[in-house]
Amino acid sequence: MILNKKLLKNVIDDLDAGYWELNNNTSYWSSAFIKNLGYSPEEITVKLNFFLDHIIHKDDRNLFKDNFYSLVRHDSHFKQTISLLCKDGEYREYVCKTNEELPVNIQVDSKVVFFFEVKLKTHEKVKDDQFYFYETAAMTSTGSWYVDFKNRKSYWDMQTRKILGFPDDFIPSLKMASDLYAEEHKQLAADVFFNCAMTGKPFNIQIIMITAQGKRFWAKAMGKAVYNDNKEVEGIRGVFQDIDDLKQKELSLLKTSDIITSQNSRLFNFAHIVSHNLRSHSSNLGLIVQMIEDLDSPQEKLELLDNIKDISESLNTTIEHLNEVVTIQTNINQNTETVSFKETFSQIVRSISNIIRINKATINSDFSKVETIEYIPAYLDSIMLNLITNAIKYKHPDRNPTIHIKTYNDVKRNGRPVMEIVDNGRGIDLKKFGDKLFGMYKTFHYNEDAVGIGLFITKNQIESLNGEISVKSEVDKGTTFTIKF
Amino acid sequence: MTMIETVKLACIIDDDNMYVNLVKKIIETKKLCDNLLVFKNGKESIDYFEAMIQNLSEENVPEIILLDLNMPVMDGWEFLDRFMKIKNKFGKIITLYVVSSSINPNDINRVKDLSVVEGYLIKPMEIGDLEDIFKKSA
Repeated sequence: MILNKKLLKNVIDDLDAGYWELNNNTSYWSSAFIKNLGYSPEEITVKLNFFLDHIIHKDDRNLFKDNFYSLVRHDSHFKQTISLLCKDGEYREYVCKTNEELPVNIQVDSKVVFFFEVKLKTHEKVKDDQFYFYETAAMTSTGSWYVDFKNRKSYWDMQTRKILGFPDDFIPSLKMASDLYAEEHKQLAADVFFNCAMTGKPFNIQIIMITAQGKRFWAKAMGKAVYNDNKEVEGIRGVFQDIDDLKQKELSLLKTSDIITSQNSRLFNFAHIVSHNLRSHSSNLGLIVQMIEDLDSPQEKLELLDNIKDISESLNTTIEHLNEVVTIQTNINQNTETVSFKETFSQIVRSISNIIRINKATINSDFSKVETIEYIPAYLDSIMLNLITNAIKYKHPDRNPTIHIKTYNDVKRNGRPVMEIVDNGRGIDLKKFGDKLFGMYKTFHYNEDAVGIGLFITKNQIESLNGEISVKSEVDKGTTFTIKF
Repeated sequence: MTMIETVKLACIIDDDNMYVNLVKKIIETKKLCDNLLVFKNGKESIDYFEAMIQNLSEENVPEIILLDLNMPVMDGWEFLDRFMKIKNKFGKIITLYVVSSSINPNDINRVKDLSVVEGYLIKPMEIGDLEDIFKKSA
């Protein structure tokens, strides 16, 4: 943008900014300049010495004098922040700029010095980039650090100490670095850090960190190698941000989405029961009706009555199963009570003692780690019974069934109780059936009595009380069911 | 056409006993074929067909297969997958129909894309349709 002198005059008058115009030995101070300081023209002597002695702050005086003479004698333009004394006795801050320093290009013969008032109060003034740095760091909970390999030292900024809960005067050491990360993430931290140190590969990860007070929080950590003149890595510089709030929300969202997914798959199973199982009964019924119409002899017609009886029975069974599933959904509000694993187990063993004896099954139990649980008693009974009878039912043809059942606390999940049932049965090909294992009416073995309802009910009971069931299995080796309550 | 030819051997692959018994009964009363093979799932039947290639005797190869989709151990899809690889080795035309209670359009379209399948019948099938199938292959 180019302004000629006439335009400039108009702009400056509109701008309300004070300025000096220097022509050879004369200088002109604009009326805005005088007025902005609160003086009347009579109170002012338009002389540099008057300005230096009476208006400019003494701290700014010498630098301004130097700058001004350089401008006059050597055409050397300048920009300077100065404080000027106003009529009311207060100093106000101005930025003083010569025409060359302006963002617009103005074409004038003379030299012009502008005085722009700084609107911010001194103590709020943006001193330099440090301000942005500190404010941004505080606002975003971002700490920065530097590890110096040459001097074997690490440096933390204030925000780092604050986030990690260390005192302001704390001096970090290289040795303690691994203490800052959660047990399960120490390896990850070490991997990315050493990779960066060795190969210079930058990192950007999400990791669980631990404060001095032992509080765990999710952080986003980034680091970049710092090179010396020989292009060797001499340190790592990085920032990390406390993203715990966000991460927790993300995780709870993920959990919600998991629950919805599993509820969805239960609904899908329902749809499947209705479309396949109820349909197969009704289609058989349809076929019989056709045959009754088609057959001539009354004797043959009567024979078909037996089939109708069969269909009516299986229809009833299917509806009973459906009922069982629906009951689970409505039982969620049923009261839980303290249930003993051992007592539940003993009861089951008594009730299936015949099956155990016939199959020569051995069942070992250890409930010493977790003895009781707050649960719906009927559910624990049904879950345990189903998994134990399954383990016996699908025993390996070459050996007697041995079942280990135990409870323990999941350390990673706030000591959440876990029950594990391990058998030495024929196992399940999970690659083939994994996604169907807990579905309704899915059977995977040749057993005639496999109905495919047990695991479906078990899973529904566990999930209705916010638990999880998972399975590991190897064909011909055995199966392990793990229930996290 | 005075001489009525019948299908010699047909095969049903289905885990629904009731359905199998009813179809058996229809086939017997209508005299649609001489002999009937019944398998409870894909595994049993593919074992049979794969063994048949090793020791081929034409009279033991069915002319018609009625295949269910939803079955335990090995479902109809996996059976089709394995059957496609061997069906040309029998030296005999085997006509395969999928008979399922699934009315899922995905299943129906997936079956239509398979050249090995002659048709898709939704349960309950009409007795007339069953007769047509056997007459076509006779």
